[in-house]
Amino acid sequence: MQGTRSVNRLLDDLDLNRESHLVIRNGTLVPGDALLADADEIEVRPVISGGSH
Amino acid sequence: MTAVGSKCKVCKGPAVIGLRRHHAHFCAEHLQQLCRRQVAKAIEDFDMLSFDDRILVAVSGGKDSLAVWDMLIEAGYQADGLYVGLGIGEYSDSSGGYVRRFADERGLNLQTVDLRDDYGFDIPTASKATKRVPCSACGLSKRRVFDKAALDGGYDVLVTGHNLDDEAAVLYGNTLRWDIDYLARQLPVLPATNGFPKKVKPLVRLTEREMAAWCLVRGIDYIVEECPIAAGNKHLVYKHSLNVIDESSPGAKAAFYLGFLDRMAPILEGRSAAAIGQLQDCERCGSPTTSTVCAFCMLIERSSEHDPVPVDMVLSKRARKEFS
Repeated sequence: MQGTRSVNRLLDDLDLNRESHLVIRNGTLVPGDALLADADEIEVRPVISGGSH
Repeated sequence: MTAVGSKCKVCKGPAVIGLRRHHAHFCAEHLQQLCRRQVAKAIEDFDMLSFDDRILVAVSGGKDSLAVWDMLIEAGYQADGLYVGLGIGEYSDSSGGYVRRFADERGLNLQTVDLRDDYGFDIPTASKATKRVPCSACGLSKRRVFDKAALDGGYDVLVTGHNLDDEAAVLYGNTLRWDIDYLARQLPVLPATNGFPKKVKPLVRLTEREMAAWCLVRGIDYIVEECPIAAGNKHLVYKHSLNVIDESSPGAKAAFYLGFLDRMAPILEGRSAAAIGQLQDCERCGSPTTSTVCAFCMLIERSSEHDPVPVDMVLSKRARKEFS
């Protein structure tokens, strides 16, 4: 993906649920309106886990 | 590139996370404050723990169990850890490493039980031998190993890292089946009874996303990878369904579970199998059960006699099901 976009826009573009993911930009957790640029290192981290209960 | 403008509700500093159910954003410091307050409220509301208790925390290497251990230690509780090696190949090797590093770095006491070494089976083998889905065999085994370790070690309370999403998903499943027995005992505190230690879930007021964020801002390294055997299980499907609902109605998931505790659990009080006297002692181990031999003793018997089953064999079986 190229071009600046917000965290929420990125998750929407990837069809990912916002409640199920966090976005880390250059090693720091960022909120939904944070802007992500091409030069940034981005991690989209799923937060849902669980097998047995 | 910096954030456009979300500010922490408390200090007006740059936010790291937005929590729609609270209609607010928080910085790292005040996210931690929120989490601490939610845990303190759960502990107080349900009389979970006291500072005199000897506490055993079941830790898997995942975010929730490491977070709750971290929170309890930070709050001044006396809490040791218990890790159970499940024999799920590289996943178990990796998850155990996260737990040991967490404990070592903080000088905490960690106990370890290995299903293969100590009980003669592992989860893939138990699943195959008992024809249970792997997550069912895993859940049953962990519960019983946790109980035994807590009782044998003389602990007052067993803590697990079940969060709001875990509990809401189980509630969702129990409600779809109208399983009154399970609904009646789906509480954040189970008191000590003959054969069972007191068990508590201090994270029930916090979501998975909040717990992952806690670990990130606290620098807690946890296993992000999901258990390979769990992929696609019903529990995860229920969680996904609830998050789809929550995305369109923020707070619906929390209202579903916390409303159950507040308004439905009192109505169901006294309706569980234990409460209506349907339990008897297992003739082999003495644990409470609805049968003559408890499910865990049956699992041990069948699994320990079975040839070891590699993880791939369980995985490929599930993969075939998923793609059929």
